[in-house]
Amino acid sequence: MNQLREITVIQTTCILISTIIGVGVLPLPLFGVKAADTGAPLVTFLAIMIAFLGLWVITKLGIRFPNQSIIQYSETIIGKWPARICNFLVIAFFLLLTGLGAREFGEVVVTAVLRETPIEVTVIVMLLMAAIPARNDINIFSYIHVFFLPVILSPGLIIVALSLKNANVLYLQPLWGHDHKVMILGILTIAALFQGTFIITILIPYMRRPKKAMKASLWAIGIAGTFYLLIVIAAVSVFGPEEIKQLLWPTLELARTTSWGRVLQRLDVIFLVVWVTAVFTTLYSSYLFMAFSISQFFHLRDHKMLSYFLLPLVFVIAMYPKNSLKMYEVIVLVGTFGLILTIIYPCVLLVMAILRKQEGHRTIENG
Amino acid sequence: MGNHGNIIRLLCVIVLLVPLLTGCWDSVDIEDRAVVLAIAIDKAEKNAKENEAEISHLKQKGFRKPQEKMIRVTAQIAVPGRIPLGPDTGGGTGEEKPPVWVLSAVGHTLDDALLNLQQEVADPIFLGHLRVIIISKDLAKKGVKRFNDYFRRNPEIRRSAWLAISNGNAAKLINVAPKLERVPALYIAAMLENGVKLGKFPNDFIGLFWRTLSSKGQDAYLPFLKVKEEENIQIKGLANFSNAKMVGMTEPLEIGLYMGVMGERKGGYGVFVDVPGTKAKVLVEAVHRKSRVKTVIRNGKPHVQIKIRYEGQINEKDHEKVEINKSAVIKRIEKKAATDTEKSVKGLIRKTQQMQSDIFGFGEYVRAKHPTYWNENVKTKENWHKLYKEGTYEVKVVFHIRRVGMKAE
Repeated sequence: MNQLREITVIQTTCILISTIIGVGVLPLPLFGVKAADTGAPLVTFLAIMIAFLGLWVITKLGIRFPNQSIIQYSETIIGKWPARICNFLVIAFFLLLTGLGAREFGEVVVTAVLRETPIEVTVIVMLLMAAIPARNDINIFSYIHVFFLPVILSPGLIIVALSLKNANVLYLQPLWGHDHKVMILGILTIAALFQGTFIITILIPYMRRPKKAMKASLWAIGIAGTFYLLIVIAAVSVFGPEEIKQLLWPTLELARTTSWGRVLQRLDVIFLVVWVTAVFTTLYSSYLFMAFSISQFFHLRDHKMLSYFLLPLVFVIAMYPKNSLKMYEVIVLVGTFGLILTIIYPCVLLVMAILRKQEGHRTIENG
Repeated sequence: MGNHGNIIRLLCVIVLLVPLLTGCWDSVDIEDRAVVLAIAIDKAEKNAKENEAEISHLKQKGFRKPQEKMIRVTAQIAVPGRIPLGPDTGGGTGEEKPPVWVLSAVGHTLDDALLNLQQEVADPIFLGHLRVIIISKDLAKKGVKRFNDYFRRNPEIRRSAWLAISNGNAAKLINVAPKLERVPALYIAAMLENGVKLGKFPNDFIGLFWRTLSSKGQDAYLPFLKVKEEENIQIKGLANFSNAKMVGMTEPLEIGLYMGVMGERKGGYGVFVDVPGTKAKVLVEAVHRKSRVKTVIRNGKPHVQIKIRYEGQINEKDHEKVEINKSAVIKRIEKKAATDTEKSVKGLIRKTQQMQSDIFGFGEYVRAKHPTYWNENVKTKENWHKLYKEGTYEVKVVFHIRRVGMKAE
């Protein structure tokens, strides 16, 4: 294969961060509080650890096979047909993830902001925004991500900082929480929000120095994880666990409660703008991952046309849940089961690769 | 070929631009909106049932009426173009027309009443600029949970709006026309917001009210307002809640004491303190407050230690002959102020104990710092109310008077 190795470590980090931060920020504190009351930050932290485990494994695999993505090296490790079945499931899972992400976005927009706009339109617009640039190559992909990253991170941090004036430290105690029957489930639900990190498997073959991919993974999970943790801490300390249980999108409410003096009495407008960008980058990543994986799956030379062919399919998936509550049931279910594909499957691959002492070619360093 | 390609490309561009128009679906011009600035909720009068049209329910089969008692909702709607945007330049504009339009409707629930109201108003009702919601005392005593649901669900409502309880008729309160502001709703909002800045009232906008209402170890409170002489409004105290029901109220000075316990920094109230050994009194104003609350479990009951530190200044002395120009005298006044504050705070705690309304949130301290005790003995708000009554409280006040103004003797 003739691929240009141009992606740097910093670009990879940026892509990972902006891929992780997506639609999930809105219900995130609710997931945490449902799992363990005041222990929400702890739950989030444990979820980050699990997410990091998954990312670590997939990066390790990527470093072992620096010229291939998971779709390709899995065939070498566990044989052609078993790998094909698993890869098909992975692709199907990302199809679901993209569709549901777009739907969740549409649902928030229609409920909170554009109440007259049909949800089909918001979803289609978002999917088109992902589908059109997904025709580009990895280089442009990484430029877009690097460009948007500050836009995603800084306003979120500003809202967290400004909301702290209404914070009450008591709401964060006890750290362990009161009731943790469903703690494991909550951890998995939050860990599922990090599944976009799978994108790294198609990035590594394009990295200038694949060996440094682990550095990118560490930084990415560190920064995105801190961001998530800060949002959970801010939301829980401002609302308290009991109030969060009453809110569908606590992070959005956090932005609505927070004001910046008399200049900006409602920060939710800024927040939503940011959040649209965050959703876009996430969908863009998962869309590109799908298009790339499918083209590798069928050994196609190009992924460009696939981008449009996928659109109707993703749209149908997005429109499938009948209402917003059903949608969240599906999202939690799909996300949690997806962890089998995004964490356990790579784990199996890595263990087998180590046992069989398989490695990819390491000779090509500069394309 | 090239020509065709261009046309196709152009078509593509047009098709792609169409989705950008989506924002227009929701555009409503500001003149075409009935912007509600304030809402007052009262009990409906007795004959309300007969006057209500069948808007959200039918007498015949199908959609039945809910069981809840009827309410009357009064809305203050801004009239487009009449809300002054700057100071009045005065003169020459002819007769003054009121900037708001007050309408009311009855209903079984809040949304029901608003739907009934919408049936009478041409423009869509818009709640995005709602600043104050007033609930009458009678209704609040029956519980406010039924109103919260609608306000939480509706995305237009700002969490920074204020909820308040009125002594009498709530509709009357939002109709009071103070001279300082042309829009009554904005006056009430300004009054409460400035109260926070002046240290007269703790910050308690609707978002904060909801969170204390939800908390298991704290009870909520709201500003308690009273109409004064037909055209002014007084902050009459705190309306204390136990769960979602209003159970009593405090005096205005007790707001200051409450803020002292909570450690709200900006002090705003002044009190008379005896100058020990004389008949004179001085008026001491609190400037800064700071507090520390600690809870311990003693013999299976919560014991709360409250330490408050005040910084104040002497504003006035009522006796010409008594001199307060020595630091030793000031020290004695400080001591007296401290013991008086201790007594009053204890009195306030006792009062709230009787109401079963822990507005201080001592329960939250117990929940946060003694989780095992909480899980074994408390767990719910009802249990905490019992323990709140049985708990013991220890108040320590330190009062510092830093300055006495510009008078020497």
